[in-house]
Formats: sequence, structure tokens, C-alpha cells
Amino acid sequence: MSSLHQLPHRQRRSVVTGIGVIAPNGVSTEAFWKATREGMSVLDLVTREGCENLPLKVAGEVRDFDPAVLIEERYLVQTDRFTHFAMAAANLALDDARLGRADYNDSPFAVGVVTAAGSGGGEFGQRELQHLWGQGSKHVGPYQSIAWFYAASTGQISIRGGFKGPCGVVASDEAGGLDALAHAAHTIQRGTDAIVVGAAEAPLAPYSVVCQLGYDDLSKVADPDRAYRPFTDAACGFVPAEGGAMLVVEEETSALDRGAPVRAVVAGHAATFTGAARWCESREGLVHAITGALEDARCAPEEIDVVFADAFGVPAADRAEALAIADALGRHAEVVPVTAPKTGTGRAYCGAPVLDAAAAVLAMEHGVVPPTPNVFEVSYDLDLVTGSARPAELRTALVLSRGLMGSNAALVLRKSSAESLS
Amino acid sequence: MTTELTFDELAALMKSAAGLTVKPEDLAGRREATFADYGLDSLGLLGIVGELENRLGRSLPNDAERSKTPHDFLDLVNTVPTTGA
Repeated sequence: MSSLHQLPHRQRRSVVTGIGVIAPNGVSTEAFWKATREGMSVLDLVTREGCENLPLKVAGEVRDFDPAVLIEERYLVQTDRFTHFAMAAANLALDDARLGRADYNDSPFAVGVVTAAGSGGGEFGQRELQHLWGQGSKHVGPYQSIAWFYAASTGQISIRGGFKGPCGVVASDEAGGLDALAHAAHTIQRGTDAIVVGAAEAPLAPYSVVCQLGYDDLSKVADPDRAYRPFTDAACGFVPAEGGAMLVVEEETSALDRGAPVRAVVAGHAATFTGAARWCESREGLVHAITGALEDARCAPEEIDVVFADAFGVPAADRAEALAIADALGRHAEVVPVTAPKTGTGRAYCGAPVLDAAAAVLAMEHGVVPPTPNVFEVSYDLDLVTGSARPAELRTALVLSRGLMGSNAALVLRKSSAESLS
Repeated sequence: MTTELTFDELAALMKSAAGLTVKPEDLAGRREATFADYGLDSLGLLGIVGELENRLGRSLPNDAERSKTPHDFLDLVNTVPTTGA
């Protein structure tokens, strides 16, 4: 890979070169995109062991995922399911980017890792706590000290891949998935060539589910087709999900030098905070985030070809988002297609906006806006794409995310084609 | 556990506590090879020490978890007097 500081900071543009997805609707990027494009909903009754009789009835589970096939045993014993997802997704992303050890063996400090995390390793932690109270402190394994921790996925991906560049973990609520991408772009501006970046979560273990039961906005509806329907009069909360996505983001010339496939440009980002569950205020927060991201990307509102909405799923939050899109995009909000494919998978906390970013890149490549599953009668002034995918020429995408604790973020992605460095 | 710790048992512990597949005959034959050479980190060795302590019902010396090689580890564990068990 090219040496550090080859270009002045402003010109070190970040591009997406690899996408790896482990999601409820697909344990590969191809399967995820096919299901997303077709608007397939995989929301279903919760079947994870120990969760069957809890008040949360519907979720997006990652099934058909066998970590033992994808991850070496020495890493399996010391990691939680959320890290298994992240490591598997990172591998897919690196393969997709064709970024292998031969590319960075001589410059391991040129590659770093950034993840976002909402809750860490609940399943591993629960097991060890059961050992503690069931058998005593001498029966708690030492890997408990690292497996539950928010930073576990970043650490294990960097160790496993031999990445010695800047590493970080963004703990800024669900929207942190987008903040992680911005953090990666900033790190690249400062001289790093590539960042393996994203988020994956595993909130469907008994301890983790019980923690979520305190959220007023968690949907407890038992019908998978009706549990998560944002932007409708039937909106009744959100459905949680497992999984997420990892991307390879690289400095553009470095990617081009090694002949990597340049998929999209990470063009702009901004984040705001408006307080936990204060959905009315999130309107203003989202407006500032969108406006800031557009300025960062030097992008006019009219250039946005598709919006991937946060689509939280309670009326106050949905109304705030619809109004924020109108406030920030003006007249253009009346015509820009909006979508929320996560209604077919649930919200994987920090993984959710990264999955949306992955879907946005794929949507631009394929020239279609994927639909919003399970949503039919839209109650707000939005051109929400429902039913089936809509063909459209997409050059610029806006991805929005909010978290239960009050974070709001917006990310602008641009199609990679031949835009010269400005 | 009444008899001495063997390389067979250590290999089994490295598998269960740290997910490492090693041959007992390699552990026995490669006197200079370190735990790190086999991919065992400090937390992994700590887990093995904890498991052995649970089986023996007594503490191992603090130096056990600082052993650099499997040979050092077996020497230390097997020469500790079993009084007070």
C-alpha cells in the first residue's frame, strides 16, 4: 500500500471498497442484497434459547450462521456472538475489497479498525455470571474480562488480521454506526490508508433481552407482519435484530493504486444529540445532522437521490423524521424517494445504520431503491418506497439514524464514478 | 486429580480453555517451545490455571500463570507439595 501522508489532508478522500454483511436476511452481502431488493421480511418469532417466553415476541434473528465454520476455535472461545458476527463480516468485506495480507504485510500500521457498539457481549457475560453465582468466582473464565466489552470486536479483528493502524470503538448509541464511518474517514484524512469499519450486535440473549424490556418503544406485538410498521397509523414500536455489516474504507488513490474496486465515496457526515426518547426534539437534531452532512459533502439538497430513513416506528419519532427531511431538503423532500429496508429485518442497534449504508451503496450500484417491507399505508408526506423495488438512477444517498439515547446522525454517500478530486 | 499433570492433560486443557489444537507429543518433545509459540496468550494460561485449581481444590503458586513453556509449567505444578488439600 502507498506510504502515509502522500496527499494533503483535504485530498485524502475515503471510498468504500468492500462490503461484508451478516444480517437476519442474509449471511453474505449477496444474500442480503437479494432479500433487501425483493423487500422480503424475515421478522419472526424469537427462538433463541432462553428467550422464547419473554415479553419480546418478534425479532430479526441471524439464522444459518455457524461461527465454527467461519472463525478459528481459538477466537471462538474468547469472544461473544456479537464479535463472531463482526469478525465474519470483516472477513467478507476484506475478501470483497480483495485486501489481503500481501497488501499490508510491509505496512501493517496503514490499516486500522473502527467499530461501533451498543451493548457488547451479553450472551458471554450472562454465561460467566451464571458461573459466578452458580459455582463461585473461581469458575469465571478469564476471557470474560475481554469478551463482554464494547471494544472486543475491534480488538479481535485487528489481532486476527494483523492490523496495527489506528483502532477505535464508537459508543454513541445506535447512530454510532454512522459515526464510526465518519471516524474512519477522519482517520484516513490523518494519514491511514484503510480502515475496516462497521458494527454488529447480538442483543438476542436472555440477559440482553431483559435489559431491552425497559424500553417503552420496544414492540411487543406477536405478529411478525405487524410488529414494526413505521410511518403508518399502526406504528407500535421497533423490533430488535442481530447482525450488522463491516466495510473496508480506503483512501481513494491508495485503493486505485492496488486496483481495488471503488464502490462509493464517504462524502459527508454530521451528528447531533437531543436527549433520550425526546422524539419531538429529534426533528431539530436530525435537521442539523442532515444540513451538516450536506455541507460536509458539499452537496445540495436537490442532489440527494434517495433517503434511507431511520424509521423508528413510534408516531412521535416518525413524525419528527418526516418533518426533519422536509425541513432539511425543502421542496426536494416532496419528490425524493425514501426507504427503510430495516422494517424487514429489525433494528440491529449500531449495526442497523451500517446495514443501511451497505444497502445504499448496493442500491446506487444496481440503480434501484429497495422497498420498505410490511409498510403499506403511509401516514406522512413522504414518498416512501413500498411493495417492490423502484428503478432509479442513484448518484447520491442520504442515510439517517437515531438512537434510543438521543443520538442523531446523517451520512452522505456518493457513487464512485469518475468524480475528480476537488 | 491425584496423579501428576501430563502433557496429554495439558493438551486437553489448552483445547478446552483456549481453543488450541496441539499434540501432546509436541508439547513433550519441544522442550524450548513457549506457550506463545503454540498461540496461548496470558489469559488462556490463566484459564488453565483456574481449571486446574478447581480440579485440585487448592491454589497453584502465583508463578504458575507466568510459566513461559509447557515444560516449566508441568515442573512447577508437579513439584508443589499436595499437603493441605
